[in-house]
Parts: sequence; C-alpha cells; structure tokens
Amino acid sequence: MKYRHRLVSVQSFMLLSTLLMLLLLDSVAAREPELPFGIREYSIGQAPNFELEDIDGAEFNLKSTRGRWVFLHFWASWCGPCRKEMPTIEALSKTLDADKLHFVLVNVAEEEDTIFKFLGIVAPNLTSLMDTDGQITEMWSPRGLPTTFLIDPEGRVRYQAVGGREWDQAAYLQFIRLLISQ
Amino acid sequence: MLGMIFSVALAAQASLPLTVVNEQLTIEFTPRAPEQMGSFYEARGFPKAMRDILKKQCFITVGITNTGRQKIWLNLDNWQFSVNGKVIERQHRDQWQQRWQAMDIPLRYQSTFRWTLIPETLDYLPGEREGGNLILPFTSEKISLDARFATGENEEGEPIHIRYDQLYCAEDAP
Repeated sequence: MKYRHRLVSVQSFMLLSTLLMLLLLDSVAAREPELPFGIREYSIGQAPNFELEDIDGAEFNLKSTRGRWVFLHFWASWCGPCRKEMPTIEALSKTLDADKLHFVLVNVAEEEDTIFKFLGIVAPNLTSLMDTDGQITEMWSPRGLPTTFLIDPEGRVRYQAVGGREWDQAAYLQFIRLLISQ
Repeated sequence: MLGMIFSVALAAQASLPLTVVNEQLTIEFTPRAPEQMGSFYEARGFPKAMRDILKKQCFITVGITNTGRQKIWLNLDNWQFSVNGKVIERQHRDQWQQRWQAMDIPLRYQSTFRWTLIPETLDYLPGEREGGNLILPFTSEKISLDARFATGENEEGEPIHIRYDQLYCAEDAP
C-alpha cells in the first residue's frame, strides 16, 4: 500500500513536471525577441501602402509582400551612414531565406544613374525602388536617413532601426532569424 | 527650472568638428564653406536658382549623440543663436519649403534639401546619433548658441542647457 502510494506520487510529479516543461517551452517560443542595440519597437499599425518602380522599371506594391516579413529601408547615396550600412544589408540578404524576409530598399529622390552606379559598386546584388519625388518617404517619415522598418507578415509595422546598423553582426542576424522563424 | 549648465569651456576644441561634450550628449559642429555646399547641391542636380540662394547662407553641419542613459529631446525652437548679444533668426524648414514652392523647385530637390537639414524635433534614444545641416544668415562674427534639451521618457527629466560661443560661418578659401 505504501509502495503504491509512492508510485502514484512519482507519477504525479512526473506529469506535473512535464506540464511545467511544456508551459515553459511555449512561453519561450512565444516571447518577443530581445532587441539589439539601435532597434526599437515601433507598433504604428498597418504599414502605409505604396507603389514605386525599381531601377529596372519593374512595378512594386508593398501589399504584394503579405505573408513575409519585410525589411523596408530608406536611403540616399549622399548619406554617409547609408554608404557604410548598405554592404551589411547585402550580406544580411545573402544569409536569410528570401521566402521569409523580403528586402525593400527605397532611394530618396535621386537620379536613376546615381542609384545604379552606387549600388553597382557598393552592393551589386541589391536593387532599389526609386522614390523620385521623395513623397513616399515623406509619407513614411523616417527619423532620418538611413532608416529601416520591419513589417510583419500581416502588414503591420513592428520595429524601427535607428540610424545605420551593422546588419551582418551576430546580434542583428539572431534577432531577424528569430523574428522570421515565428 | 534649469538644470545643469554647461558653458563654453566644456570641451570646445579648436579643430573641426567643434565639439561640446557633457555627461549626456555630444554635439559636433562643422561649418561648411559656400563653395562646398554649392558643389554638394550641384552634384545632386539642384537648379542654379536654388544653389545661388543656398550659397549665400551659413551652413553648419550638426551631429548630436545621446551618450547618456535616458532619452534626450531636441527641439530647435529651444535653440537661440546670437551675434554680439543680438539674436539672429534661423529659418525654419517650413519657411524654406514655402520658398522653394514659390520658386516651383521640383519636388525631388525639395525633398533632398529637407533630408539634409537637421530635424526640427527629435527624441534621441540612448546611443543614438542623428544630425543634419543648420542654416543661419551669414555673418563673419562669432556666433553664440544657447540650447536647451528636455530629457527623460516624457520630457520630465532634468533639462540640459548648453552654451557655446565659438560657432562661426566658414568662408570660401581666397
């Protein structure tokens, strides 16, 4: 009798432990990723939609990216931090699954030739949209140039990167990998 | 109530950028010569009419870094410039926009121009660095700056007061 009572206690303990473990795992999986330096939460709701052409003349509509995270980046070639940051964006884009994270670069009010030459030298594997009159950028009102917004698969703006970041560094890679894996 | 007052002697350096440092922020000022600014805008295709106006101004590139642990609030309305004790007016970016609109300057150049200016207002997160150009009426005299920054998440913190008397407008080399 005493042995049976002990067996029931052990079984209960194991069941309770398993439940606690499952709860813990669930909470870990659902947690918000830790924010690396220079990234802040920026929950402003649905991302304002826009349509622009890229440097090859292809039309782009932001809504077409639904179902994937979007890395929306505003830049200009005359901006020093933009020049420094761009190669790290290219490196980031090479390491991540394009089906889960879509890179959308928006050049602010520069000539097509300027953009083409700049990207050809600094980040040849990237392309950019052209906000030729700067009005889409005005609508998005970034804090400055460069600025990056991270938009979730439901089209909601979730994070903002402040200034130029070194996107190929471990902290940012881990952060984005965790985001797109959820 | 004004909080800590940091005066000229803070960490002003003779070489460029002119730098003001305190425990919570660093401000760097780099005066730009008219020829330099004219070339910058010309390289970006700005119309001559626009460049001719800009070349007559005093450009100072300002970089502000929040080196502290709390938010710092920039509001250019709280920056006062003076020469020999007399206040000089800085033109607000809205005034520039009205001017360009009146001149029918293409939106592309208006946009680029705006992005080269320092924001009128901005909350600086710890570690954040932002800046841009400040445009003042040209003067060959030394310019004094009296600047106040609110601090804290909701501007409830001790304000920062900066006074700096060594600003100047750069001139073209003879």
